[in-house]
Amino acid sequence: MLNYDKMEKIGEGTYGTVFKARNKSSGEIVALKRVRLDDDDEGVPSSALREICILRELKHRNVVRLYDVVHSENKLTLVFEFCDQDLKKFFDSLNGYMDAQTARSLMLQLLRGLSFCHTHHVLHRDLKPQNLLINTNGTLKLADFGLARAFGVPVRCFSAEVVTLWYRPPDVLFGAKLYNTSIDMWSAGCIFAEISNAGRPLFPGADVDDQLKRIFKQLGSPTEDSWPSITQLPDYKPYPIYHPTLTWSQIVPNLNTRGRDLLQKLLVCNPTGRIDADAALRHAYFADTSDV
Amino acid sequence: MAMNFWKSSHAQQWMFDKTEIWKQRAEDMKTYSEDEYNRLNIFWANFITAVATECAHSQANVGCKLRQQVIATAIVYFKRFYLRQSFRDMCPFLVASTALFLACKVEEHTTLSVSSFLKNTALVLPKRWGVTFETTSAKNGVLYDSEFILVEILDCCLVVYHPQRPMVELLDDFRLYTNSSASPTSPLKDFESIEAQCQKVINDTLRCDVGLIYAPHIIAISSILVAMDLMGRGEELEGWMVEVDVDMEKVADCTDQIYKMYTLWRSFDEKEEVKKLMAKLPKPNQQQMTQQQQHHHHHQQQSSSGYHM
Repeated sequence: MLNYDKMEKIGEGTYGTVFKARNKSSGEIVALKRVRLDDDDEGVPSSALREICILRELKHRNVVRLYDVVHSENKLTLVFEFCDQDLKKFFDSLNGYMDAQTARSLMLQLLRGLSFCHTHHVLHRDLKPQNLLINTNGTLKLADFGLARAFGVPVRCFSAEVVTLWYRPPDVLFGAKLYNTSIDMWSAGCIFAEISNAGRPLFPGADVDDQLKRIFKQLGSPTEDSWPSITQLPDYKPYPIYHPTLTWSQIVPNLNTRGRDLLQKLLVCNPTGRIDADAALRHAYFADTSDV
Repeated sequence: MAMNFWKSSHAQQWMFDKTEIWKQRAEDMKTYSEDEYNRLNIFWANFITAVATECAHSQANVGCKLRQQVIATAIVYFKRFYLRQSFRDMCPFLVASTALFLACKVEEHTTLSVSSFLKNTALVLPKRWGVTFETTSAKNGVLYDSEFILVEILDCCLVVYHPQRPMVELLDDFRLYTNSSASPTSPLKDFESIEAQCQKVINDTLRCDVGLIYAPHIIAISSILVAMDLMGRGEELEGWMVEVDVDMEKVADCTDQIYKMYTLWRSFDEKEEVKKLMAKLPKPNQQQMTQQQQHHHHHQQQSSSGYHM
């Protein structure tokens, strides 16, 4: 009943293996994600169900499309739009150089996708280069919504075990459980810096402690003044007062002044001070088309 | 989830006119008359609610009372499912249990297993409707399948918009209006009982087809009309209704269908009639299921011969 020729394995998702495949009648290339069944009583994993629910409602140029869900032989297979590579692989092909136009275009698309998700009350929660797909036309698409969450009312406690460490905001690292769109904005900031540096991660922490140190060494340690109620966070512990040793132009040398300004508005330790996706899209960085 | 209802799968794929609905039920209309099917509509909603509420009573699941929204979502899944499939394709009791299971997960509510819901089925059916039910017919393998089948037949459209939210906004607007100087009527008294009555009517609308025909705000405003009328306070709505910008023709029709459902419900002797209706229920036919599924879905893949993965 499934009319797809399976080609090579292209990855391992949150809840199953992903294959490239060709639709036999149309010739179209798609990505097939087969849902694994782990627990006997649980049925379809809730992460898969969440992704299905969310992607069925979200249709946007910068969000990966879910074409179909096929049930056969006691398995469930999600049929996705195929993209040639993810941002991580794209970085590898750059040989350490990213031109300013491409960087801005990627960031613009990332923010457009995020703005769309956020206005539809969906948090991605696991943004990282591996989850950003890029097709042959250079279109970027948010993918892997396995940890995504509709943040309708009431906001409940989310598991703290989300978001790959390197892209995790300090509030979540301190154990904050009630969070919102700001979680994705921090990740977008880390990815922005990584894009402009052609794939060199901004804060490649080894563990939670190292992650926080790296962040604070660049941004300065937050205080009750800059971040009221920080000490109330479940896993809060005081860090020494670090003073940034590197300037932003040393950290992201390829970004112009406006780009650096946007980056600093994204990378704000206090989540309430972080810029949101719509405001970021209106930032002057995207207004000037002639690059410096 | 999504803010724009009109762009949702609910609005774009799951709203029909009345004739379309009956056409899609053609297979089951060989077994049941339209009047019988309308009675079944009432029964299925009562039954799914009973299975869900039974959770709260059974000793193993004390405190696990399903929210009304989960029950409503499950009933919508059930009704949508039987637009695409017939009772012969899949046992409605299994579909009901699976719909509750799926609705719990989608609404992020703690869930019981499908088999627990089936056990509840075996409890409530004889107790309330004098119908016997064997859980043994549904083995675990079938249960896995049942969830997949539902997801597939529902075409992954699992986010459902209920009229509750627009109703809360409308009632708020109504209250504010009657408090304003523009209102020809005096400020509302006993607003809590209005809210309670509206909530009751809105839950009852799951017993007819309005959820497959109208947008949630139409059902919400119709429910307010019916609720106020049932309380004998219809005239208090007059000033406000003029102000509300809504397709009155749709509201009139929706209201009419809600009244018809209440009339039918009053004449419906469930204890006596459900037994007869269930006796006519076609026996599930697994093979036909597979064929129909293939036929129904994947129009672009109809020539496919096998699963090659």
